[in-house]
Amino acid sequence: MKKPGHQTPYYTVNGIIQRGLPVLLITCIMGIFVGQILNSREKNLISMPAILILIPSLIKIGGDTGSMLGARLSSAFHMGLGDNLRSNPVVHNSVIAASIVGFVSSISVSILVFLASSFLGFGMPFLTILEISLIAVVIELSVVYCATVAIAFISHRFGIDPDDTVIPFIASLGDLVGVTGIFIALYMLDIL
Amino acid sequence: MTSESHRDEDIFESQYIDKYLSEYASVSSIVREALPFELIATVGGVAAGIIFSGMTNELEMIPGLIVIYPGVLGLRGNISSTLGSRLGSAIHLGLITDLDRHNPELMNNISGSLILSVIAAIMLGILGHFVTLALGFESAGIFKLVLICVIASFTSGVILSFIAALLAIGMFRFGFDPDNVVTPSIATLGDIISMFMLFLSAKLVVMF
Repeated sequence: MKKPGHQTPYYTVNGIIQRGLPVLLITCIMGIFVGQILNSREKNLISMPAILILIPSLIKIGGDTGSMLGARLSSAFHMGLGDNLRSNPVVHNSVIAASIVGFVSSISVSILVFLASSFLGFGMPFLTILEISLIAVVIELSVVYCATVAIAFISHRFGIDPDDTVIPFIASLGDLVGVTGIFIALYMLDIL
Repeated sequence: MTSESHRDEDIFESQYIDKYLSEYASVSSIVREALPFELIATVGGVAAGIIFSGMTNELEMIPGLIVIYPGVLGLRGNISSTLGSRLGSAIHLGLITDLDRHNPELMNNISGSLILSVIAAIMLGILGHFVTLALGFESAGIFKLVLICVIASFTSGVILSFIAALLAIGMFRFGFDPDNVVTPSIATLGDIISMFMLFLSAKLVVMF
């Protein structure tokens, strides 16, 4: 193999920018949507710092476990295991496992947020934080996983590599549904 | 003869699929593999949240800051984790062996992702300003929002690129697969570092 540096590099600045920009534009637009949802209730959020601590960690769970689910489904389809949606053990097991990981993480987030907020002196009752997290996570995980399975199957059907399409989109979708879920939970508990 | 070898192949293939299902796709194996990473990631998320809850003054003084916050974190995560996975691939291909300033593969990757951060940050600031105005909310102005986005995402990009390169090369030297380590750690550190840089750049803009 020739020494790199005496030949055209495999990675060029232009190539990286051209492949990156379309996905980043979508990330930007979805991020602004999430921001506007937060903006509409900015005054209430600022008066509840415990919720501000909860938001970044809770909305990550859906995106993280959703991307893991997407990557698993995509690998299984690449191996030729994805022909039937209903009786497919890879889809079943991955969705169940991702939900377990999501729920356990949301409980751990509630404990950490409770500890951090009482340490910083603006404590909220632990049960309230746990209720908000669980309601938000149920909404977030069900929407994100349905979208992940649907996108993975559709892109597989049409011969698009799911690795390129699912993961960046799912992370942004997780943020969007996560914030919506937290707001629904706050309304249900009459906090907002 | 041929049909027999065909049957062997079929048996081999179904055994292979059974093995895949029992070893890599059983519920307990997936949970065991993914849960530790996700728990560490939530600790990072809570750390980012603590910084966010300390920004209430800036959030009140800069209307529109709360609009760009999810975008800044999302861009950072997206750009840095793709950088991490590209560096991993380049190391596996033998294109990068050292933390060398003259290696074009390494420098193109890092400068490409930094340029991408700046372009995306400008887009985010402009979009944030106009969408906020269009919905009838108050905005701190296009210049301030773009400035905050660009400073926060460029500085966090520099720090994270350096960490990603160091981590990828170091992990490979010590015999770990960079793909398993770099992406999750960059995702976790990325939230904390970009939130902190967002906090600092908001403080800087408030001072002017």
